[in-house]
Amino acid sequence: MPLSFTPVIGLEIHVQLATVSKLFCSCSTDYIGQKPNTNVCPVCLGLPGTLPVLNGRAVEFATKTALALNCRVRNRTRFHRKNYFYPDLPKAYQISQYDLPLAVGGYVELTEADGSKRRIGIQRLHLEEDTGKLVHIASDGRLSGALYSLVDYNRAGIPLMEIVSAPDITSPAQAKEYVARLRQLVRYLGVSDGDMESGSLRVDANISVKVSDGRWGKKSEIKNMNSLRAIERALEYEIERQSSMLARGEEVEQETRHWDDAAGVTRSSRSKEEAHDYRYFPEPDLLPLVLEEGFLEEIAESMPELPWEVFKRFEEVYGIEPEDAALLSERRDVAAYFEACVKAGASPDKAANWIKTELFRVMNECKCSADDFPVRPEALTELLRKVEQGDLSATAAKDVFGLMAGQGLRLDEAIKAAGVSVGKVSGGALKDIIDEVLRENAEVIEDIKSGRDKKGKKVKFLQGLVMRRTKGQADPQEVSELLDESLNN
Amino acid sequence: MELWKLPAWKIAEEVRRGNLSASQVVESHIRRMESLEPSLNAMITPMPEEARRRALAVDEALSKGTDLPLAGVPVAVKDLLCTEGIRTTCGSRVLGEWKSPYTASAVRYLEENGAIVIGKTNMDEFAMGSSTEQSAFGATSNPWDLSRVPGGSSGGSAAAVAAGYAPIALGSDTGGSIRQPAALCGVYGLKPTYGLVSRWGLIAYASSLDQVGPFSRDLVDLALVLEVISAYDPLDSTCVPGSRPRYRDALKAHDLKGQRIGFLKGYQDFDMDDEVKEKLAFALRICQEGGAEMMEVSLPVSTGYGLPCYYIVAPAEASSNLARYDGVQYGLSEEGKSILELYLKTRGKGFGNEVKRRILVGTYVLSSGYYDAYYLVAQKVRRLIADEFARAFSAVDALIMPASPTVAFKKGEKLDDPIQMYMSDLFTLPVNLAGLPAVSMNVGYSKAGLPVGVQVVAPKWGEMEILKVASVLTDAVGSPKVAMGGEG
Ligand SMILES: [Zn+2]
Repeated sequence: MPLSFTPVIGLEIHVQLATVSKLFCSCSTDYIGQKPNTNVCPVCLGLPGTLPVLNGRAVEFATKTALALNCRVRNRTRFHRKNYFYPDLPKAYQISQYDLPLAVGGYVELTEADGSKRRIGIQRLHLEEDTGKLVHIASDGRLSGALYSLVDYNRAGIPLMEIVSAPDITSPAQAKEYVARLRQLVRYLGVSDGDMESGSLRVDANISVKVSDGRWGKKSEIKNMNSLRAIERALEYEIERQSSMLARGEEVEQETRHWDDAAGVTRSSRSKEEAHDYRYFPEPDLLPLVLEEGFLEEIAESMPELPWEVFKRFEEVYGIEPEDAALLSERRDVAAYFEACVKAGASPDKAANWIKTELFRVMNECKCSADDFPVRPEALTELLRKVEQGDLSATAAKDVFGLMAGQGLRLDEAIKAAGVSVGKVSGGALKDIIDEVLRENAEVIEDIKSGRDKKGKKVKFLQGLVMRRTKGQADPQEVSELLDESLNN
Repeated sequence: MELWKLPAWKIAEEVRRGNLSASQVVESHIRRMESLEPSLNAMITPMPEEARRRALAVDEALSKGTDLPLAGVPVAVKDLLCTEGIRTTCGSRVLGEWKSPYTASAVRYLEENGAIVIGKTNMDEFAMGSSTEQSAFGATSNPWDLSRVPGGSSGGSAAAVAAGYAPIALGSDTGGSIRQPAALCGVYGLKPTYGLVSRWGLIAYASSLDQVGPFSRDLVDLALVLEVISAYDPLDSTCVPGSRPRYRDALKAHDLKGQRIGFLKGYQDFDMDDEVKEKLAFALRICQEGGAEMMEVSLPVSTGYGLPCYYIVAPAEASSNLARYDGVQYGLSEEGKSILELYLKTRGKGFGNEVKRRILVGTYVLSSGYYDAYYLVAQKVRRLIADEFARAFSAVDALIMPASPTVAFKKGEKLDDPIQMYMSDLFTLPVNLAGLPAVSMNVGYSKAGLPVGVQVVAPKWGEMEILKVASVLTDAVGSPKVAMGGEG
C-alpha cells in the first residue's frame, strides 16, 4: 500500500498594533520611512535607569482581538523578560508574556472550498515589544559576508500582539485562509493595518508531516513569508520536501528555514540552531496587569460586527451569493458602503455587482478606502436607479460613474459632462441617427442586401455603431427593429 | 563659621532669609571636599564648577522671590543616579564616559527644591558589595579611620555626609547598601518602603529590591529629604500613587508610650561584635525607658534563609539588568571580529570580579533546569519572609535590629572572602526582600572610636513609625558627630 502524508501546521502571527505610541514609551509607532534612530527615546533605547510604562491602548487592542477570536481573557496577567543577546535588542531582553498570556483558548472558523466549516484553535494571544532592525553592510547584503552591521532602533518597542494557533491546520490553502481571516479581523477591528509586505503582520509556520505508517517527522519553522501567496507556496514546497524525505526513509531535521520567494524554495538558516535558553522571569519593572472591573464588558460593547458575522448576514438577509458576500465583507469600509447603498434603496444584487466591478476598479487605482470614496453610496444608488428606469444604459452609467469618481462631479454634472442626456433616444431621433449611419456605410448595406451577411455579423456591426452614436441611450430592441425596417426599404 | 557643619534645614533657612548665599554655602562644602578627598576618595566625579554655577542660579531665583525649601543645600549623589550632562559610572568601567540625557527623579526633585549636587559618590560596582572597595575608581576610606572601609555599596555617600562634604546625600539600598554604610560611618540612612520613591534614573541592580534613600547627620534633614524625594512619579510603574505624609511631624515624638517595640529573640547568640550587641542593648533600654513595651520577636526564616534567598533573587535580576552593557550602543566598546567577540571582550574588560560573579550566579539560577530549584524556591522563601515580618508586625509597631554585625572593618579584610562580605548584610537584606522601610542610625561609638548603628524596621509605609523611634533614640544619644576624615 502506498504511503500517505498528512501535514501538521501551526502558525505564529505577530501583529503590529496601530496604537499611537509604542508599548512602553511615548515614541510614535509611525516609524516606516523615518531616518534611522530618530523615532527613539531613552526608554525604547533601553538606556540605563529608564523604566517601562505600559500603553493601555495596546491592552485594549489585544483584548478586543482576543474576544473576537473567542479567547478567554485573563483578568490578571503579567509580563516576563525574555533574555538573549542580539544587537537589535537594546536591553538584551524583550518584554513579553510567558506563563500568563493575556488570552488563551480561542478559535477561528474557516469555510472550506466545499463550504464545510473548520475550526482552527488559538492557543494564546499575548503582548510583547518589537525589536530594532539590523542592516548588514556587505556587497551581497548577506550576514555571512558582512563587513559590519548597522542598527536602527526606530521599530524597537512597537507593540506586537502574538497569536499562536494550535497545530490544527492541515493544508497550505487552509493556512492561507486562516491568515486571511486574521488579517481581515485586525483590519475590521482597527487594531492593525495588517500589511504583510511592510511587516505589520508577520507569519511563521511550524510544519511537520505525519506518515501513514506511523512515523512523524520533526517540525521545521518557516520564516520570511511576506504574502498570503508566499505562505501557500512555502508550505506546499515544505510538505513536498518533508514528504519525499520521509518517503525515502530519511529523518527530517528540526530546524529553522527561510522562504526564498524568488527561487520558490525554503532554505535552512545556516547559522547553527542553538537551543536558546531565554531565562524568562517576571519583569520586576512592571506591576502585574490587572484588568479593571468592567473593562472586558466595555471592550465587548465597543466590538464592531465581525467580518464573518457580516458575511453571514449579507448571505442570509440580502440573498447574495457566497462569493459576492465574501468580497463585500472582506473590508469593513466596503461592507458599510454596500449596506448604505441598500439602505438608500439599491437592489442588493445590482449594488453588489457595481461595487465588485466599478468601485473596486477605481478604488484600486486611487488606493482609497470606501469610507472616503468620492461617489457616496446615495449617489451610486441614484445612478443605479437611472439605469434601472432605462434613463441610462449600463455603458453610459459607467462613464458617468468614472467622471463622478475621477473628477468628483455630482450625478447631474457627470451626466452632462459625459454628453449623455437623461432619457432614451428613440422614435424620430433614433431614426435620424440610423439614417446617418447607413449613409456613411453604403458598402456594408450593399453586402447585406446581396446576401453576403449570412451570419448577421454586419447587421450587428451597424447596430453597434448606432448604439455608440446614441451613447448607449437607445433601446437595443428598438434599434434592431428600426434598422431592419430601413434595410428592407 | 564652618558652614559645612550646618544641617540642611538650617542652611535652607539661612539662605532663604538672605543671611547666607547659596554660593557661600557651596564654597564652604567644596573646600571641605577638596581638602579631604585625597584621603577619603568618596567621590567618583566631584562637581565643583557645576555646583558653583547652580548656586548662582539658586541665589538668582531666590532674589526673584522663588520659594525653594532646600535652597542652597549641597547634596552628594551616588553614582548610579543619572544626572543629565554629567557622567554616571556605577563605579564601573563598562559605562565609560556615558552621560544620560535625563536626571533621576529623586535628584530632580531635590534640585527643583533648591538643592545643589556637589558630586557623584563612589560605590561598589553596580551596588554589588558592602565595602566600597569593589569600585573601578578605587576604594573609599572610612572618615573615622582611614584604614577601614565605609561600608557599601553607598559608601561614598555615607562617607561624604559623615565627613561634611554635604549635609545630605542620596544612596540606593538593595540589600543594605544605605543602612550598613550609614552605620559604619555614623550617620542616618533611610531605606524607604519599596514603591515610595521613584526609581526613574536609578541604574538598576535588582529592580524588585532597589530603593533610593537619603543620608544625613540630622534627623530633621532625613525627614525633609524624604518628603521631597518621595513624590509620586508616573515614570516608575512600581512607584505607588498618592500623597505622602509630612514626615517631619513624626519627629515631634519624644516618648514611646503605647508603642510596642520588638527585638530579635536571642540576638546575643548571633555572630556579631560584642560592642554592636552592647549598643543594641543600649538602644533597647532607651526605648523601654521611653515608655515602649518591649517584646521578643523571632524571625527564623528571615535570619536563616534571607541571605541565600537574596543571593538568588538579586543576581537573577542583575544578570538581566546588566545584559545591556554589551558595547553596542554606549559605554565601553571593544572591537571584535564577530558580535560575540565584541560582547565577550567588552563585558570581560568592563566588569569587575564581583559583578561577574553575580551575573554568573544569576544566569545560572534562571537557566532551564535550575529555575525551579533556585529562582522559584527563592521566590517562595521571599514570600515566607514577608509573611514572617507581617506576623511579627501584628504584635509590634517597630523592630530594632543590628544594621551591621560589625563595626567598620579593615580594608582588604573581607575582599577575598565573598561569603564573609555577604554576611555584612545579614540583618539588612531580609528587609529588602519584604519591601519594608527601615532607618539606620548611630547609637554611639566603640572604644576604638568607630560608630555603631542600629536599624529600626516597620511595616510597609511605616516611615512615620521608624522616624518616631529614631527621634526618641536621638534625644538620648544625640545627633551624629562630623567625622574628621583624616584631617588634623
Ligand atoms: Zn521610545
